Amino acid sequence: MTRIVFLLLGLTLAAPAAAQDEPSLSIRPFFLVTDQSFAAVDTFDAAFGKTYFPFFGGGGQVVFKGTYFVEITASRFQENGERSYFSGGKAFKLGIPLTATITPIEVTGGYRFRLPTLPRVRPYVAAGFGSYGYQETSSFADAGDNVDTRHAGFVVNGGAEFRLHRWIGVAVDVQYTHIPGILGTGGVSQQTGESDLGGVAARFKAIVGR
Amino acid sequence: MGRFRARAALAIAAIAGGLVLTLRGQVADLSRLQILQNVGLTAVDEGVIVDQSHLSGSPGSARRAGFHATLEQAGTSSGVARFRPGRVLVRFRDEASMAERRAAVRMASASGEIGTRPSYADFDVVQLNPSEDAEAAARVLSQRPEVQYAQVAHRVRATMVPNDPLYATMQWNLPMLNLEKAWDIQPAAGSTITVAVIDTGMAYQNATITATIPAFRDDQGTLYPALGTVTIPYSAAPQLVNAANAGRIIMPFDFVTNGARPPLDFEGHGTHVSGTIGQLTNDGVGTAGVAFNVKLMPLKALASDWDVLFGAATDVGGFDDDIARALHYAADNGAKIINMSLGSSGPANCATNANQPECSPVIEAAMRYAVGKGCFVTVAGGNEFEDNIPPFGTNPTSILAEIASRVPGVVSVAAVNRGKDHAFYSSTGSYIELSAPGGDVRGFGLAGAIYQQTFDPNFTDTFLLPPAQYHAPRFDVMGFIPYQGTSMASPHVAGVAAMLMQQGVTDPAVIEEVLEKTAVDLGAAGRDNTFGFGLVDARAALRGLGLAK
Repeated sequence: MTRIVFLLLGLTLAAPAAAQDEPSLSIRPFFLVTDQSFAAVDTFDAAFGKTYFPFFGGGGQVVFKGTYFVEITASRFQENGERSYFSGGKAFKLGIPLTATITPIEVTGGYRFRLPTLPRVRPYVAAGFGSYGYQETSSFADAGDNVDTRHAGFVVNGGAEFRLHRWIGVAVDVQYTHIPGILGTGGVSQQTGESDLGGVAARFKAIVGR
Repeated sequence: MGRFRARAALAIAAIAGGLVLTLRGQVADLSRLQILQNVGLTAVDEGVIVDQSHLSGSPGSARRAGFHATLEQAGTSSGVARFRPGRVLVRFRDEASMAERRAAVRMASASGEIGTRPSYADFDVVQLNPSEDAEAAARVLSQRPEVQYAQVAHRVRATMVPNDPLYATMQWNLPMLNLEKAWDIQPAAGSTITVAVIDTGMAYQNATITATIPAFRDDQGTLYPALGTVTIPYSAAPQLVNAANAGRIIMPFDFVTNGARPPLDFEGHGTHVSGTIGQLTNDGVGTAGVAFNVKLMPLKALASDWDVLFGAATDVGGFDDDIARALHYAADNGAKIINMSLGSSGPANCATNANQPECSPVIEAAMRYAVGKGCFVTVAGGNEFEDNIPPFGTNPTSILAEIASRVPGVVSVAAVNRGKDHAFYSSTGSYIELSAPGGDVRGFGLAGAIYQQTFDPNFTDTFLLPPAQYHAPRFDVMGFIPYQGTSMASPHVAGVAAMLMQQGVTDPAVIEEVLEKTAVDLGAAGRDNTFGFGLVDARAALRGLGLAK
């Protein structure tokens, strides 16, 4: 990770000055990879044996005057685990296959700061809301046993964008999401008392556009 | 000739009279019972037997109850004893020296002696003169600072309501637990789990029995002649054990004879209960069991009528000390589930005052020991809903079930009928935790009973015949016999628990939590005194939980 950061910094510094020119309105698609630590630690640990998982996705940004931006992101998480019980701080896995899929669609608006000494680095902060799809399927399910729902949540993030080339940039940020309404009313999450499907994620974006 | 007949009759009467006197008040005489194990033919399977002679309230049932009482009187000195005379079960505090323990015993009884601690017991047995008041001695001892608890050895009984009269046609009880879908989840059906059955024994092997059977009088005073020394065929229930799975029987032990004889069932109750837990299934024969691949540990702690007549026991039923030892034995020898289809009645407040007559702290301690060793225990909830048991009245507290409700990992099980309603006999109270099918012929006829393979009572209960027809029993004729009682409900839960443990829930307290949370609520919303948390749902329990549902 350290090597990647230094590489990005090096590429940023090596980029031509023209790469720093910013139009008054730009539309920039991006690819997204995140590593999320779920808030529902015991719930995810009971089903999957760990609590950190990647999301893959992409989206688009509209940047006004290089400073304000609106971003829409769609991503997807899918993991295979086991149905289980949780009691007394201990999980009891049952060996029955379970697949959970989360498909967030997030819309955020934010502000990009300028650093006079580092013109190719643009720190930013953003906040917004999301619609989070959650699907849970498992073996031996009867009609109505599986879960397919979508709930709203909110999101805040902050990080920095590094311009590598006139048309290519990368961004690294930390994002916090809070997603109530899906966990906590049934399943293992009810046993663990955890009701937030969100968490904290480290995100990496590869941005195409100026 | 006529004179000779009269003399012969007098001689027979004299001998018979002598034997009756011999039977009464004697201690167990194991020399009268010899069992040649694994020598015998396989059982005759008669299929479904529609025998109404065991129906609750029937003449046959009444005669059996009277006969039990007669044998109990034969084995004890003062009527139908509620406890085993001449002994008090005492748990001394660890810090009490032997001198202090002996001094405490002397304060309670002039004749009291601390006996050699029996195997699989964490308590001592204080032997008294049988004429002494054991309850009074227990009361004095329980007040001593050196003593954690002291109690008499209460009599416990099988909790089946006798009901002497296959899957698709007769076993409404298994689909009621949603078992078909549970078997889809776990086709191995408990194959790695050993279930201990503390009961009247189990028909788990072929044998040839030689017994000397004395004369006796039934409850009507009718003399039944001595049968002398007879050879009795005995067969394993082929739907429990056959040549292909003989290895499923683990560490059998007979606490009635303290291991002197194999724990063969001479009553049928233990074999029926074991069938509900683990009857061979998918073999195209007879009925199905819940966890049909489990290993079975037969632990005989309840004596039957024939045990008494064979000289193997002094009384019908069982006693707290044997039950407690059986719990220890099961836990120490690899059992993970223990079924106790037995019980006794007592006061409702043993939770707050265990040192009072009829409470059984020795069994509570043994249950906690078993749970501590990773065993999940199921206990029949009691069959006395309509019965008046002085001095406790109608629907008395079932002592062992009440203890179960206080020990996480031990559950008390009430019975429901074919309509998922309260079975007429099933005891109710705050101690009821779960419900399962127990059978109920009232309103449903024999179609409302629980069927499993066990002995054909027409060949075993010969003591219910008139004296002229009375003959030695045969324990090699089996059928699918209808029973009802919380004795039948408890093994359903034991079977589901075995499957749940194999599925991955290894903590007894969590098994209880899971069974209660996944139960189908019956009766009043939430937990209630009739159904507890509701009817066990095997599929819901085994399938577990996802993240959100």
